[in-house]
Amino acid sequence: MIIELLATPLGHTVAALVAILAFLGLNGLVMVYMERKVCGFIQLRPGPFEVGPRGLLQPVADALKLVGKQLVTPLGADALLFWLAPFISFAPVAICFLPIPFGPIATGMEMNLGLLLILAFSGLNALSLVLAGWGSNNKYGLLGAARAVAQSVAYEVPLLLSVLAIAFQAGSLNLSTIVEGQKGILSWNLFVQPLAFVIYFISATAETNRAPFDLPEAESELTAGFHTEYSGMGFGIFFLAEYSYMIVVCAVATALFLGGYDGPFAPGIWWFLAKVFFLVLILMFFRWTFPRVRFDQLLNICWKWLIPLGLANLVATALVMKLVK
Amino acid sequence: MGEALQQQLAYVGYGLYLLLIIAGGLAAVMSTSLVRALMGLILTLFGVAGMFLLMNAPFLAFMQILIYVGAVSVLIFFAIMLTKTPEGEAGAENMLEWIGMRAGLAVLAALTPAIIMATLIVKKAPAALALKPEVTLAQLGEFLTGPFVLAFELISVVLLAAMAGAVVLGFERRKGK
Repeated sequence: MIIELLATPLGHTVAALVAILAFLGLNGLVMVYMERKVCGFIQLRPGPFEVGPRGLLQPVADALKLVGKQLVTPLGADALLFWLAPFISFAPVAICFLPIPFGPIATGMEMNLGLLLILAFSGLNALSLVLAGWGSNNKYGLLGAARAVAQSVAYEVPLLLSVLAIAFQAGSLNLSTIVEGQKGILSWNLFVQPLAFVIYFISATAETNRAPFDLPEAESELTAGFHTEYSGMGFGIFFLAEYSYMIVVCAVATALFLGGYDGPFAPGIWWFLAKVFFLVLILMFFRWTFPRVRFDQLLNICWKWLIPLGLANLVATALVMKLVK
Repeated sequence: MGEALQQQLAYVGYGLYLLLIIAGGLAAVMSTSLVRALMGLILTLFGVAGMFLLMNAPFLAFMQILIYVGAVSVLIFFAIMLTKTPEGEAGAENMLEWIGMRAGLAVLAALTPAIIMATLIVKKAPAALALKPEVTLAQLGEFLTGPFVLAFELISVVLLAAMAGAVVLGFERRKGK
């Protein structure tokens, strides 16, 4: 009975959503631990080590602390918008995971426009940041929101351009088809389209608001930017959403550029996860290695370098595709 | 899934999206805060995206979310943040005249679409349309660059003109300082 239900498209999608949410919850804990350990090793301090063996239970303690804290709505804030923002930031993430091919059969929902679905729903993150900044009636929040808008709108362009180059090449927006097209390490798009990968990865860092592009948050200048006023799980959900978006952008990068679940031996879901977490680790290295850029630098990188390069790459891809055909 | 169940789910989806569109529209019109009105607009846009999905046009639905929700409404938000508008409406001097005018306008606003819709329905009775097959992205592209190439290019010229105009305006503003 249950097997039959799972075989229908609707049942399959629901089961996939449940699995994704469970994965995201666990992933939050793992990545908090990873981030703090990485930051500790890079900056010559131990990171968490008191709670549990090697500090492994620290994220659990953190999560319990966050859940236990009181939720405060600041005076003069628009309570509806203020509490809507965390949900808008987290809800689309689960949908973004649906079209990602984790393994040969482990795809939440096979669809022809999977890539477009991910791009469309991850764009909602910017909306949640501005809502949070505006709703909290706080000048730091508002400044963070203003920065979030300029940043996310600017960096969406090179991101789309680099993804479009890969879509041109594969002739499809279905992530499974794009992965199928990369068999063997040398045919991975990382080596076919290195420029697109660089553009994608830089834009993805900016889109997920990770340092060195974490200007909407910028704790040393804006206190905590858009989430200054959030306490307890209000902040916790933003945090969870940020880590989940990191997984989304790295999973898309893996599918587009690193051959998805393809590997030198025994291809399968483990290769996909290994590549995703490798990219996540690189994102963390970025965060703890580079200082935060200034805002004009951030926009200059995008408009003066990434977008022209992305356009050139797109035109070159189109020309080569035309010539090869 | 059986045909009948699918049909019923389609009705449920239609009702849900219709509700979203109407609720979003009401929120946009009735809220005094501009940002809440924008939220209403976004809700409506989501409802319309859902309608596109029901009509088996997922590309349009995702584009609707990507462009209108992800980019246009965020830019509207930016405009709202730059113009710190006072909340509420300006007071009216003659209350009675004001109410009368508003009532008249409201009736007009409610009647116009009804009249147009009624004429359309009477002239052309709606037939239950079968679900059209999904148009693939390649077909869509061929249509845009084939039969509709003139319209496509004209739209891009309009966009280019708008962009150039924005740049020119920006430069003039900076010179004035």
